[in-house]
Amino acid sequence: MNEKELLQHYKTSGDLSTLGKLYSPYMSLLYGVCFKYLQDPDRSQDAVMQIFEELIQKLRHYEVDNFKSWLHVYSKNYCLMQLRKDKRTTQVDIEDNLFESEQKLNDTSETKWEEKDFEKLEGCMRTLNREQQECVRLFYLEQKCYKDIADVTGYDLNKVKSAIQNGKRNLKICMERKENGK
Amino acid sequence: MENNYQLSRIHNYIHGLMSKEEMFQLEREALEDPFLQDAIDGYRLQNGVDTRQLSLLQQRLTRRVEDTVATRHAQYFTWQRLAIGATAGVLFVTLLALLYFKHFNGKAERTTDVELSEPENKVSVQPLLDGGDATPREGWKMFEQYLNQKSGAPATGGEITVNFIIDKNGVPTDIRAEGQPESSLLDEAIRLLQKGPKWQGTKGRLKIAFPVKDEKNQAQANVIKPPHCFGIEKK
Repeated sequence: MNEKELLQHYKTSGDLSTLGKLYSPYMSLLYGVCFKYLQDPDRSQDAVMQIFEELIQKLRHYEVDNFKSWLHVYSKNYCLMQLRKDKRTTQVDIEDNLFESEQKLNDTSETKWEEKDFEKLEGCMRTLNREQQECVRLFYLEQKCYKDIADVTGYDLNKVKSAIQNGKRNLKICMERKENGK
Repeated sequence: MENNYQLSRIHNYIHGLMSKEEMFQLEREALEDPFLQDAIDGYRLQNGVDTRQLSLLQQRLTRRVEDTVATRHAQYFTWQRLAIGATAGVLFVTLLALLYFKHFNGKAERTTDVELSEPENKVSVQPLLDGGDATPREGWKMFEQYLNQKSGAPATGGEITVNFIIDKNGVPTDIRAEGQPESSLLDEAIRLLQKGPKWQGTKGRLKIAFPVKDEKNQAQANVIKPPHCFGIEKK
């Protein structure tokens, strides 16, 4: 059974071993996600188990199309709720997290690029700030990894990462605006 | 498994065990896959992947799933046991009921025998009110009892209706039979009435039925079973 069939099977049967099969492949990724927010090994492990407990109910009632994205958003929200509960303030970069909620779903599938599209892209590139422009170019055009970009530019590795993430998002917004505005 | 593959990639990425191309590839994927990016961020914060931790987590999940299955099995067996228990209980009660009814029915049969035979084995008396107002001083029940104790009616039995007058001493006199009864029956009726208990009222009219006598049981003159009862008794 593939993921969709497993989901459907669980929804109708409520068979826990089916849910286990569905959940188990994501556990290590989930642990990473939980650790990112909770920053404690035991709490993160418990969170992974607790999320499973919640899925037992949720997945019987909700229609879930893309399990992976859904699970990611669900667990992230779960962790943020945990943090809110114990009123622990954590530094969460709003820019960083804005990116996270964007899904792979709206990834534009292989559209043919014409000459004017490249001109448009060039125009949009110029609207980015210097850091973003620099990092996006190095990453997407020269296909350098974050570490290399950090070495070349002298920026911090995390700064490189967020510059690329945000640059990518801004470019997308810019392109769409031009597309619609003509 | 896709997951473990990603895990080793994350591990290698964080520990700088990847070539630049591989790193770029993973970063590219992570840009399109926020789930992966979050996981990478988390493991980087933890300074690497702890596989022991993850296998423990995997074990917890397995145990969780198995527990539920085990619980369901336990419940299932409990239900099975309950069902067996209930069936056994029902069977037991049914058996008891059967035994009881068998016993009860046997008793009832015997009782019926007695009841069936009773009116025919006893001398019975039926006061006929249209011909008189007399009643035995001690009541009809006592009178009937007396008749049964003292009756010496002929073996053939029979029915007789008599009229009589009660004298000032409460004794029936001038006893006459209606119709043409056997003389032995009339004699017996007269004897019983004259020697029997006292009466009140002025005149009486009675129908007395004498049972057929059991030849084999002369001692109990009145207790005579009708022919159809012999069959049952023999059983």
